[in-house]
Amino acid sequence: MSIKFKNVTKSFGDSKVVDDFSLKIEDGEFVVLLGPSGCGKTTTLRMLAGLESVTSGDIYVGDERINDVPTQRRDLAMVFQSYALYPHMSIAENIAYPLRVRKVDRNEREQRVARVAKMLEIEPLLQRKPRQLSGGERQRVALARAIVREPRAYLMDEPLSNLDARLRVQMRGELKRLQHQLGTTTIYVTHDQAEAMTLASRVAVMKKGRLQQFDTPLNIYNHPANRFVAEFVGSPSMNLIDGKIEHGVFLSDSIKIPIDRSDAAVTIGLRPEHVHVSTAPLDGAIPASVYVTELMGNETFVFLLVGPHKIIARAPADFRAEVNCKVWLRLETDKAHFFPKEHSTDYTDQKQSV
Amino acid sequence: MKRTRIFRTGWLVLALVAALAPVYWMLTISLKTEVDQFAIPPKWFSFTPTLQHYTDAFVTRSFGQYLLTSAIVAVVSTFFALLIGTLAAYALTRFRLPWNLDHKLSLWILSTRMFPAIVTAVPLFLMMRDLRLLNTKLALIIVYTAFNLPFVVWMMRGFFAEVPRDLEEAALVDGDSRLGALVRVVLPLVSPGLAATAVFCLIVSWNEFLFALVLTQTDAAMTLPVGIAGRVTQYEIKWGVMSAAGVVAMMPILVFALAMQRYLVRGLSLGAVKG
Ligand SMILES: Nc1ncnc2c1ncn2[C@@H]1O[C@H](COP(=O)(O)OP(=O)(O)OP(=O)(O)O)[C@@H](O)[C@H]1O
Ligand SMILES: [Mg+2]
Repeated sequence: MSIKFKNVTKSFGDSKVVDDFSLKIEDGEFVVLLGPSGCGKTTTLRMLAGLESVTSGDIYVGDERINDVPTQRRDLAMVFQSYALYPHMSIAENIAYPLRVRKVDRNEREQRVARVAKMLEIEPLLQRKPRQLSGGERQRVALARAIVREPRAYLMDEPLSNLDARLRVQMRGELKRLQHQLGTTTIYVTHDQAEAMTLASRVAVMKKGRLQQFDTPLNIYNHPANRFVAEFVGSPSMNLIDGKIEHGVFLSDSIKIPIDRSDAAVTIGLRPEHVHVSTAPLDGAIPASVYVTELMGNETFVFLLVGPHKIIARAPADFRAEVNCKVWLRLETDKAHFFPKEHSTDYTDQKQSV
Repeated sequence: MKRTRIFRTGWLVLALVAALAPVYWMLTISLKTEVDQFAIPPKWFSFTPTLQHYTDAFVTRSFGQYLLTSAIVAVVSTFFALLIGTLAAYALTRFRLPWNLDHKLSLWILSTRMFPAIVTAVPLFLMMRDLRLLNTKLALIIVYTAFNLPFVVWMMRGFFAEVPRDLEEAALVDGDSRLGALVRVVLPLVSPGLAATAVFCLIVSWNEFLFALVLTQTDAAMTLPVGIAGRVTQYEIKWGVMSAAGVVAMMPILVFALAMQRYLVRGLSLGAVKG
């Protein structure tokens, strides 16, 4: 089912937590709500689930306006950040709960539980109680309880946040396959940009309750709509240098870069992979000193100082340089992003107004 | 180290003796002949036991009836207090009422237990008289339900507050109704608390004396405590009969509390939230 937020606002007392939020999600999409802690992702999801009232605006599932439909009749499935497994029921009973409530008969109930248990490889756990499971197993059970019926959409609130790094990467892949297999619209909340990039068909970036950009992961990465998105997406973060362009040259403290743009105060943004480090002097290169290097195995992050600026570069794994060693930088200025200086515009593109 | 242990054990023994001595005395009196009861020096252990007081109380006199009345009144009033109080407590913990009423109401409810019971005894007597409910079990059931309600609300509020909201919300999203979520998810999790509350209500109703004395005078409606006290008359005090009835009155509570002990230990809701 398609899902549509139309100018949705949520206030708790005087504080606006979600502000004029509009988003149209197509049927079958995997959309990730991405944003820093406290930006209103959970609140948005809870409004969709009916666990929080909408202060103003409308939410649609398919063509139905659901603002006033009670939670139990919205036919959505949600995976809670805390998993929210019923502690007094066995795993099998937990998974069967949505079916039991819908008065599905016992035989079919058991069959469907067995089927999802097999799909998620939790068959041996069915007779246990939630407290006897590990975090990763609980997470699977929570997923199983969501997919045991065919809801109109899945809502997931940071379901992987409590798993260790390895399990998280593994579950990430499984989630993606599962969604592909089921083809059900999914809204997934996270503050982890790597999760967003890998899972989403489209990412909605939020900041302080406002939508910043809604696009494919690749477009978010390559064409960030504003400074906030540019900085938030990508690891290590994009280099941002404040300065101004005068007569075709970008000027900032000790940096001078020829740029073919009209005069303005701008922030220039360059991804670490577009900064190339060389230990030998190059023509037209910017001199810098090495602050520290971090070997990642397949590549090296080089933290550099150029005057007062800190710049991060990606270098090959065999790159070696001592601390404080002098190096030269070449910037791929054709890949640079320009943002109005120190002033982040909110994303209100024409094509997004639903 | 050792000294404190002896000290502690000593206190425990003292407390135990203080608590159990009257019970032991009552038990022996109920089994002694009237002559033995007043023997000086008192016969602590060596006397010939007799069941005459028990037959006197439950066969000759109508203590069996009082027992039944007590049981009916205690069980029924406990049931209603739990039913109403649990729902009220749930609403008070889960729903936000305008003007902060959810907090204020809780305090008002508790305040009804702050004045001495005797203050309400006379108005209650007059009301029950006008309703023609004097000397009926219904009067006691109504009064005990009302009397236990604030307690149930306050106990259950605490237990409900400990149940993570996520669980109910998950139940709602899974398609259950509010009531369904309460019955299938929340109540099982608070069942130890519910059991503890029930035990307390039963004990209070079972032991209640003042309202029962004011509201009932006939054999048909009299509860056990009133019946027992009634053996103190101007002319004689039936120590044996009173003790026998007292021993019997004590039994159900004792058995019940022991049976419930398992539930009174909490810990069921562990593992609900990941951690
Ligand atoms: N019931 C509430 N009453 C008042 N303020 C609330 C309530 N729920 C959330 N908030 C506030 O709304 C803001 C957004 O909360 P929300 O839980 O949606 O953030 P989030 O984006 O999910 O963050 P996180 O990544 O930390 O989970 C926060 O500042 C929070 O303090
Ligand atoms: Mg959240």
